[in-house]
Amino acid sequence: MSKFRSVKDIPDDEYVAPGSSLCAGCGSEIIARHMLKVLGKDTIFVNVPGCYAISTLFPFTAVKVPFVFAVFGSGAAVAQGIKDGLDILKEKRGINNERVNYKVVVYVGDGAAYDIGFQSTSAAIHRNLDFYFVCYDNEAYGNTGFQLSGATPYASRTSTSEPLGGSVGNVYRKKDIFEIWRAHRAPYIATISVSHITDMLNKFEKAKQFKGPKLFVALSICPTGWGASEEETVRIARLAVETGMWPLKEAVYGEVKHTFIPRRLKPVEEYLKTQRRFRHLFHPVRREEDIKKIQEEVESYWKRVWETELSK
Amino acid sequence: MYRFRFHGRGGQGIKTASRIFGTAAFLEGFYAQDFPMYGPERRGAPVAAYVRVSREPIVNRGYITHPDVVLVGDETLLFDPVADPLRGFSGGVLFVNTMTSPQIDISGELVTLDVTGLALEYIGRTSAISAGVGAIACKIAGFSKGTTMEAVERELEELGLSEELIDKNLRLAEESYRNVPSFDLDSLPSVRESDYIDTNVVHVKLDEGYVGVATIAKLGNTAVRRTGSWRILKPVVDLNKCTGCKICFAYCPDVSIYLGEDDKAYIDYDHCKGCLICSSVCPFKAITMVREVKTL
Repeated sequence: MSKFRSVKDIPDDEYVAPGSSLCAGCGSEIIARHMLKVLGKDTIFVNVPGCYAISTLFPFTAVKVPFVFAVFGSGAAVAQGIKDGLDILKEKRGINNERVNYKVVVYVGDGAAYDIGFQSTSAAIHRNLDFYFVCYDNEAYGNTGFQLSGATPYASRTSTSEPLGGSVGNVYRKKDIFEIWRAHRAPYIATISVSHITDMLNKFEKAKQFKGPKLFVALSICPTGWGASEEETVRIARLAVETGMWPLKEAVYGEVKHTFIPRRLKPVEEYLKTQRRFRHLFHPVRREEDIKKIQEEVESYWKRVWETELSK
Repeated sequence: MYRFRFHGRGGQGIKTASRIFGTAAFLEGFYAQDFPMYGPERRGAPVAAYVRVSREPIVNRGYITHPDVVLVGDETLLFDPVADPLRGFSGGVLFVNTMTSPQIDISGELVTLDVTGLALEYIGRTSAISAGVGAIACKIAGFSKGTTMEAVERELEELGLSEELIDKNLRLAEESYRNVPSFDLDSLPSVRESDYIDTNVVHVKLDEGYVGVATIAKLGNTAVRRTGSWRILKPVVDLNKCTGCKICFAYCPDVSIYLGEDDKAYIDYDHCKGCLICSSVCPFKAITMVREVKTL
């Protein structure tokens, strides 16, 4: 039975303070808020360069738990160091209180999760480090002006993949980080979205029971980079889920289960049209081939899911 | 040389306004230099842009500390200690985008116009004042309407706006241009020489490494920063319609909605950045938006 059934069940405790410098309408703040509500005060927050870093600009911090700022590639390595330090206090010094049992969460953007910090993350998962790794995925390097990352979806405009001279924008496909992590055989992996709060809360709650790496990738809407108005954040995230572009799923010891299975998919267009980064697919001429390519990829994904999971 | 300084909020179009003005100056036969400045903060946070216009080649670089003309895209910035748009302004022309008549004690000319209102009327968005503010700068400098409109068109085309949107922007620019006076900038008092010297450099004394470790003792202290000044539109809860369902509370990125003792949603206006997610997710349409006019 899920612990959180509706938004009424959201814990009142708040570990993120207002007044941060993040853009109005930023998705990463919604995720951080609810993540810490579930993980609680006994958490050490590791952050690396990325948008969320500006929640904490010296001498201010918006996070009400201990906050460690690491270099771009080393979020997971720093988490290992913290965890080892706590273990030494516990085992060699015989200390046992809530402090040495702190949870460690690495909260990073897609640049650090998919690209620059991937090596240290992969190594930490390999060593079976007992930590949480949460990626707020806004599908580009949003902090520096929206450049292409390994998480950028096909056809997205970024400042380094401009749709000029008949180009489609980003010509590469988005890395499937979920499957990459799954290949590491981590105990718990989940995808979450800012639109589905109770789903998000329940996944963080469920992850608590596992020892070892607990990995999350969250769709984090970036109104600034995506070219959408701030109030659309939640609606766009919901469309991403309902069009099937962002599946909500989890994998427990490699066993995949979808936590939301749409019976019918909305056309991907409905999602793409909400953002200026995909505008060149519709204006000045409609790029039917590219839209179809995106639609077909989504459909073939869900066809497999429907066949395997609905028949069970 | 004339120095123009633009102040606004990230996402409002102030950078584009400065580019429009720079391009117009170039088309008028001047040398022109325009560049924006924003720190690690973004949408909604204060930004500034600088334009130097001269008959001679411009050798100066760096921020403009003593502007001849200041254009403020958002009235709530006027007395904001971070943006401080009046810094170094000692006579010249001050333009403020406002729907009220601000009482500002300045030496120099004050020009006001409700560009945000015009942007709502012509374009339907509050965050689209670039063409208006750019055109106002052109008019203040005495540029012709022809070059102004050409500059607006060129810059917006470069941004990849649709023809329809450019047309709307041109109408906004035309209306803004028509509604402000022109000045003979050569007759304005000026502090030109100091542009080079005073760059407001603060010399920081360095402590020993063990003293200078960046430690913050009070967690969550961003709460002392009043990001409420970022708002252009303000969410207002209709308490008669609010059922206390907590949905707005769940989706507020800035922890700026709380439930009162009556279990209804209240907004913390000191911190609400005005993203209006609450208004879009409210199932009972209990949260509406109004123009922000308060100067924090």
